[in-house]
Amino acid sequence: MNPAIAPYRFLLWAGWLGLAVLGGWGVFERLFHGHGQANYGSYVVWGLWVSGYIYYIGLSAGAFLLSSLIYVFGVHKLERIGRLALLVAVITLAMALVAIFFDLGREWRFTHVFLSPNFSSMMAWMVWLYTAYFLVLLLELWFALRPSLAQWAGEEGLRGRLGRMLSGSRAPLTEAQCREGAGWLRALATVGVPLAVTFHGGVGALFGTLSAHPSWHTPLMPVLFLTGALVSGGGLMAFTAAAFWPQQDRVWRESLTLIGKAVLGLLLFDLMLEWAEFSIPMWYGVGGEYDHLMNVLFGEYWYVFWVCHILLGTLVPLALLAFRGREPWAIGTAGLLIAFTFVAVRLNIVIPALTDPNLVGLESSFTDARLRFSYLPSFFEWQVIAGIVALGCALFYLGLRLLPVTTPEPQPKAP
Amino acid sequence: MNPESQQPPPAEMNLGRRQFLRSLLLAGAPAAASVAGEEAQAAVAGAILRTTRPDRNLDLNNPRNFLYSACMQCNTGCGIKVKIQDGEVAKIDGNPYNPWCVVPHLPMKTAVPDAARLDGALCPKGQAGLQTHYDPYRIARVLKRAGPRGDGRWVTIPFDQAITEIVEGGKLFSQVPGEENRVVEGLRSIMALRDDAVAKAMAADIAALWDEKDAEKKKALAEAFRQKHAAHLDKLIDPAHPDFGPKNNQFIVSWGRLKGGRSDFIKRFGAGYGTTNLHGHTTVCQGSLYFTCKAISEQYLADKFSGGEKFYWQTDLEHARYVLFVGANLFDANYGPTNRTVRLTDNLASGRTHIAVADPRFTKLAAKAGVWLPLKPGTDAALAMAIIRRLIETGKIDQKFLAAANKAAATAAGELSWTNASWLVEIKNGTPGKFVRGADAGVVAAEKRTLPDPKDPKKTLEYEEKFLLVLQNGQPVAFDPNDKTNAVAGELFVDAALPNGTKVKSSLQILKEEAFAKTIAEWCEIAGVRTKDVLKVADALGAHGKQASVDIHRGPAQHTNGFYNVLSWMAINMLLGNYDWAGGMSKATTFGYDGSKGGPFDLNRVPGKLTAFGISSIRHDLAYEKTTLFAGYPAKRNWFPLSSDIYEEVLPSIEDAYPYPMKAMFTYMGASAYSLPAGHTNIPVLADVRKLPLLIASDITVGVNSRYADYIFPDTDYLERWEFQGSHPNMACKVAPIRQPVAKPLPEIVTVFGQAQPICLESTLMAIAEKLGLKCFGPNAFAEGQPCSHPDDYYLRAVANVAAGEAPDGSKAVPDASAEEIEIFRQSRRHLPPAVFDLARWQKIVGEKLWPKVVYVLNRGGRYEDHAKGFNGKKLANAYGKLLNLYQEKTAGVIHAGTGKKHFGTARYLPIADYTGQAPDAYRQNHPLQLITHRTIAQTKSRTCTNYWLLPLMPENGLVLHPHDAAAHGLSHGDEVRVVSATNPAGVWDLGRGGKKEMLGKVIVSEGIRPGVISFALGFANWATGVADVTVDGKLIAGDARRGRGIHANAAMWTDPTIKNTCMFDPVGGSVSFYDSHVQLVKTGRRASHAESVALRAL
Amino acid sequence: MNPDTTSTPQEAPAETGFTRRDATKLAVVAGGLGLVALAGKTLSKLKTTAASQQPRGPQTVREVAPLGTVPVDGQEDVLVRMQDELRRAMAKPIEQRRWKMVIDQRKCVGCHACTVACIAENKLPSGVVYRPVMTETTGTFPNLATRFTPRPCMQCENPPCVPVCPVEATYRRPDGITAIDYDHCIGCGYCITACPYNARTRDLGENYTAGTPMAGRAPYEKLSSNEYGKCWDRQNHDSPVGNARKCQFCVHRLEEGLLPQCVTTCIGRANFFGDANDPDSLVAEMAAKASAHVLLPEMGTKPSVVYLS
Repeated sequence: MNPAIAPYRFLLWAGWLGLAVLGGWGVFERLFHGHGQANYGSYVVWGLWVSGYIYYIGLSAGAFLLSSLIYVFGVHKLERIGRLALLVAVITLAMALVAIFFDLGREWRFTHVFLSPNFSSMMAWMVWLYTAYFLVLLLELWFALRPSLAQWAGEEGLRGRLGRMLSGSRAPLTEAQCREGAGWLRALATVGVPLAVTFHGGVGALFGTLSAHPSWHTPLMPVLFLTGALVSGGGLMAFTAAAFWPQQDRVWRESLTLIGKAVLGLLLFDLMLEWAEFSIPMWYGVGGEYDHLMNVLFGEYWYVFWVCHILLGTLVPLALLAFRGREPWAIGTAGLLIAFTFVAVRLNIVIPALTDPNLVGLESSFTDARLRFSYLPSFFEWQVIAGIVALGCALFYLGLRLLPVTTPEPQPKAP
Repeated sequence: MNPESQQPPPAEMNLGRRQFLRSLLLAGAPAAASVAGEEAQAAVAGAILRTTRPDRNLDLNNPRNFLYSACMQCNTGCGIKVKIQDGEVAKIDGNPYNPWCVVPHLPMKTAVPDAARLDGALCPKGQAGLQTHYDPYRIARVLKRAGPRGDGRWVTIPFDQAITEIVEGGKLFSQVPGEENRVVEGLRSIMALRDDAVAKAMAADIAALWDEKDAEKKKALAEAFRQKHAAHLDKLIDPAHPDFGPKNNQFIVSWGRLKGGRSDFIKRFGAGYGTTNLHGHTTVCQGSLYFTCKAISEQYLADKFSGGEKFYWQTDLEHARYVLFVGANLFDANYGPTNRTVRLTDNLASGRTHIAVADPRFTKLAAKAGVWLPLKPGTDAALAMAIIRRLIETGKIDQKFLAAANKAAATAAGELSWTNASWLVEIKNGTPGKFVRGADAGVVAAEKRTLPDPKDPKKTLEYEEKFLLVLQNGQPVAFDPNDKTNAVAGELFVDAALPNGTKVKSSLQILKEEAFAKTIAEWCEIAGVRTKDVLKVADALGAHGKQASVDIHRGPAQHTNGFYNVLSWMAINMLLGNYDWAGGMSKATTFGYDGSKGGPFDLNRVPGKLTAFGISSIRHDLAYEKTTLFAGYPAKRNWFPLSSDIYEEVLPSIEDAYPYPMKAMFTYMGASAYSLPAGHTNIPVLADVRKLPLLIASDITVGVNSRYADYIFPDTDYLERWEFQGSHPNMACKVAPIRQPVAKPLPEIVTVFGQAQPICLESTLMAIAEKLGLKCFGPNAFAEGQPCSHPDDYYLRAVANVAAGEAPDGSKAVPDASAEEIEIFRQSRRHLPPAVFDLARWQKIVGEKLWPKVVYVLNRGGRYEDHAKGFNGKKLANAYGKLLNLYQEKTAGVIHAGTGKKHFGTARYLPIADYTGQAPDAYRQNHPLQLITHRTIAQTKSRTCTNYWLLPLMPENGLVLHPHDAAAHGLSHGDEVRVVSATNPAGVWDLGRGGKKEMLGKVIVSEGIRPGVISFALGFANWATGVADVTVDGKLIAGDARRGRGIHANAAMWTDPTIKNTCMFDPVGGSVSFYDSHVQLVKTGRRASHAESVALRAL
Repeated sequence: MNPDTTSTPQEAPAETGFTRRDATKLAVVAGGLGLVALAGKTLSKLKTTAASQQPRGPQTVREVAPLGTVPVDGQEDVLVRMQDELRRAMAKPIEQRRWKMVIDQRKCVGCHACTVACIAENKLPSGVVYRPVMTETTGTFPNLATRFTPRPCMQCENPPCVPVCPVEATYRRPDGITAIDYDHCIGCGYCITACPYNARTRDLGENYTAGTPMAGRAPYEKLSSNEYGKCWDRQNHDSPVGNARKCQFCVHRLEEGLLPQCVTTCIGRANFFGDANDPDSLVAEMAAKASAHVLLPEMGTKPSVVYLS
């Protein structure tokens, strides 16, 4: 735990408990009483949870691609946060899967996608791809942790038992075993990179391929999703590394600075793409897409774009990274801001397209709470999100305490 | 070994290759699974969807699974096919045998199993009717109020106890604070006069008293009456006014929506009880339309005009070429969307028919019209006068038809009916009075004649026939209007003097002078429409002659000048000569069911009949001057010699105890507080235990009126009961749609006259009669051995009359049902309990011979003449075929009780006026917007808010406002406003103990309404019928707010400045004034949410 | 601000070369993924609802009883004529039928009977609607026009909602109707977002009488519905609760030789239905009119529902 955070430990615990209780109640409601209290319906069929799903899966892909910098592209300066990145990637992926699980109408039939997939559907590809990605991620994490776990195998108590059980060896690994493990790690990471790029770009394509919604139906969509993943994932890693790295030594500061620079670069690149996304359809102020994007920018929920995304999600982090690019608190805060507010970008992709029908007079033809082209997440939906976040934090905390994620890399024992 | 990158095989790969692949890949253990897969594959059945879920094909169109009946989600009464699944009503469709739902409808001879597979059309309310049946807020047992009237607390009590209490009376509400020792007089005590002989004698004396013209002689007759009947004066309400009638009259039966059969039960009960006060609700719908056409249909007989029928005409749309619809919202309401739309839309699309629409609002009908005349509400007659002037000026009137003065002339002219257009009217100091009699003018000698007495066919009446006059090339010619042999025609425009100096004008001349009083442009200016549009419509009407017509409904009638608006429009139809022609004016024709027009059972005989006499509590069918209450003008309240069913007088008259106080009221399906303009004036009376000591209601829920009742008897809804729905003028062929029980009744089963039956209107009336010992129900009620102890006793015999037809020799009877049909009849009722359907009982009631014919009729949902039989050649087969009064001697003879002046005998434009004839200018001050109402097809007045499938079509109405008016008031779409008027400045419904309900509504800005006029849809913002909470036996039943959204602004409509406690009304036709009030909108600052404002629609 | 350029690696210098051992590991991992893909492809073929396994050919012929004593003499109501033509269509195997619906907006009076009849026939819960009717009034007083547009499912020839289903729970039948197997649909909602006409809706298990003394147990809510000729009971959270739902041209009625509900209940007779492959059918005549057009043609879905105005 970063010493700077330590005094607020009690506050963090209380916060987590609040989230867990609130979230738990929401999850219970969802599982036993279905979708009754949600605000989405038959026209705005995807709401906060689907936006949450693509947000978390973006974080996971981002974190993973950052870890691949180390295990594939050999950026050893970041070596130390490699295992942390993999842990974050696994946890955020789990959060994404839980979010989309709750959104399904008949959630216990998710197995149908595995038992009888229809590969003309982009969604079937997504499910299979992120299952493969999940396996790769777990294996990578195992290989990354195995040396440290084997280190623990000899100790007494919980660490010992964990070490022995998880590493599958009684004693620290030999040099050959370590090299062998590193080889597998690199192989998995090498396959993991195209996998992550394909499936997260694919999630963007899941929206992009739909001709029913002009604002989704752009070739830019997969690219936007990828850069979004990198920015938000990078931001999250910057924050996690800054906030939860125990050894505040120089190497940590250097790797943090490097992450900061990477995130800054990615943020600027993403900003450029976003400029294209808005300016091209709106330039001459004519046509359906112009009206649509005007509604996104200046409609009822203008603040989601201007306050959450631009102010908090872009300008403040840019300032922090540009002018205080070397102070860990600045990099951490910038990372948190980027990661946390990126849900606004995801919301602005999913919701506005669904609240913009192609047929005039449809909403007033037959009135029902579920047949509306306006949407605001209900308290119940936020509750379930709170539950998912609480789950994520809990897994992360257990990961930090029970797994040698942040312990220094052991020196391989002479064979 | 690189990963397999082969593309997945194309979907159309044939089965063989796939089998091979599967076995190859799944060799070994998994192969067993694939084999199991094969079996699973085979077990999977699916005619449509091959999955593991078993099939269950639709079987609702099997004739054993549905029953035909008649809908009552509005008064159109379309035929319905009610499909039963697992004993419950699952789906309602149209009855293909019924001319409302399929055009041409299937002939009766079509076999039932063949017709079973055809579903007819039905409007959305018809489709949602099963939600009225399964309304969660329906009541099943008798409710007695547990607190003061209207506070919503009830206890359920046994049926017999309730009957005993209302008949015997006593301290019925001792547990209610303030009524501890209030003794309620029961129906037995109110029924003071029980001896029919005394009643007959008194009735005759009162009739003589009323006919006495001289005031002194009338007083003397009253005094003589008191001497003669000294022994029974205690039976009278008030010996000082013997013409009030017996105390029996202090029990009033008042109803809302009532059709044939149930109306006969009420008449039979009223005859047994001896009360003259049996009152309907016609004036709240289109009263003046009915009573103007009654005035038009009075026939000349024995020197007087009598025998007018309460009915009206509509256009036969199947053959119409040009129709001007006035205030007729065909596609949303009228009678009704289902039967009239199908007869119009194809003609419109193919160009065979062109239409124009006069309506301040851009209705769905106006959207299909060539011309829309957005006239100022209440100026109908002005618009009609412009058209009349144009038709006369361009000579486009049917001269031959109008010239014919009697039946023979009509026949000669190839017509079935004729007008009195050419008859000569005596002009006394400038105003037209009676038709001049030939004998009086010395043109011909009077002639002694006799005719059978209508009341008693065996007796004959003597009278002196004085003949009437027309002018033929300057010479007066006498004639008998009913003469069938020698045709007499007269000049159309006559303004002359007879040889003996009497000034005379022809009826048409009088009408012409009314129309020519202003130029066409001036008339159009009053009506607020463009002259060029009016000329276009008038010329089109003129061009299409007998296939051109004016079709009107509520719009023109519901004004203070309703009578003359209707007369003006009907006058145009007379000028066009389209009565009884295909494409012209058609009237309703039904098969008789009560035996009066022939048939095996005479259902009108009432044993123990008590002759009811005396002034009715709403003072209808009687002139003020005739009664002992006459004391100069204005009378305390209006009198209605020319109309009946004056709904706006029923309760307010009780409040004024004018003509006399009331002791008990039985209300059936009544919601006057909601449906009347200024209906809030009814509420204080309903809640007043002194003015209305006993209030009994028969209703299916706790409604706007029944919530104030002392007792509510649950009723069967329209799917659980019998009724003879009758027909509408737009239906050319002769019909008899029959409503029959098709669903299990919700109300408790009770025993009356020893017969098990559900609590309903019929069983309640019979139980009261049984307790009172009246002979009109129970054993031998119809005849020896023909009891009336169960609703079936009446209705099955009535169906037998319809099945047997009117010819005594049975030549008009329907064929017998085959054995297969009788089996279908039995099986399709297997879900009905014995109290409702018992095959043996039914067969015994009608007897063996008629039973197959009854089954034949009930298996088709009624009796319907073949479609082609409705027309012969260019004419209608079921014709009116009588005199049409263009000028009305009888109306011209009636004095307005509020002004003392005589009414006019001809169509004319009258500005809006109150009871004393004054223009309500004071009320219009700073209330700029004229308030009207309209109907959306999604709601009937106060009973369909219970249908959850209809609410999404329009969850909330609003105030439709033109953009200019909105801007002037600083209002935008969705703003909430309060509606206030001069007679309701607070803009509030005062519901007594029911609390206060503010008249708040959302603004709907729409181009589709005339500037200066605002409108709201009826049927919304109900405050009872499942909206308000009620407590029954201590358990709270929370209301459902979805049923009460929107605004109901009737409380803002003007009350009459002189009479105060009722709305303004048409003094001649009796119609309530719905469309004359002016209101103001007050912004409340609140707004509709985004979703709500999207749902606010003008159409 | 000069970035720190020197880095003093502590760990052993990483292997830079790409050794043969790495290649084998890479191959093994890639091979593993290949196996996963192969399993997926194989399983995708085992589906019971794949379009190709649905009823075809002679077994789909339906011998509907003729109308018998119902007069079909050229004067009959269009409902009778269309029902007679329906019998002819059902006598052919499914592949030779091609259902088409024509909606004559000159005759539609915006009464919403079709909307409510469809809800009653399919026992739709609140929040689910198959055929709303849209109302549009244009112009300024007093020159106004109002148009009504009923919007069933278009049963597109090129349905965007079919390829997106991750489990192929929905597919296009040879006669043009796009069907859903509620027992297979997982309720992801992808087909709902894919439809440009918003013709698919989501059943979230709600009931019209919620919040009243009957609380969802009104008889018309407890009775099972007949969609696709099966028995669906929503009471104990059984399908179609949680599924996507859509208009299916009342295919369960077509099987019995009955016209779709919205057609039989149309009081303006604005709604025509029949087999476009039958040149003598009323719907073939009406669809040939000059004013025939489809909604959102630019979407390229080639709807089977044609409007006349």
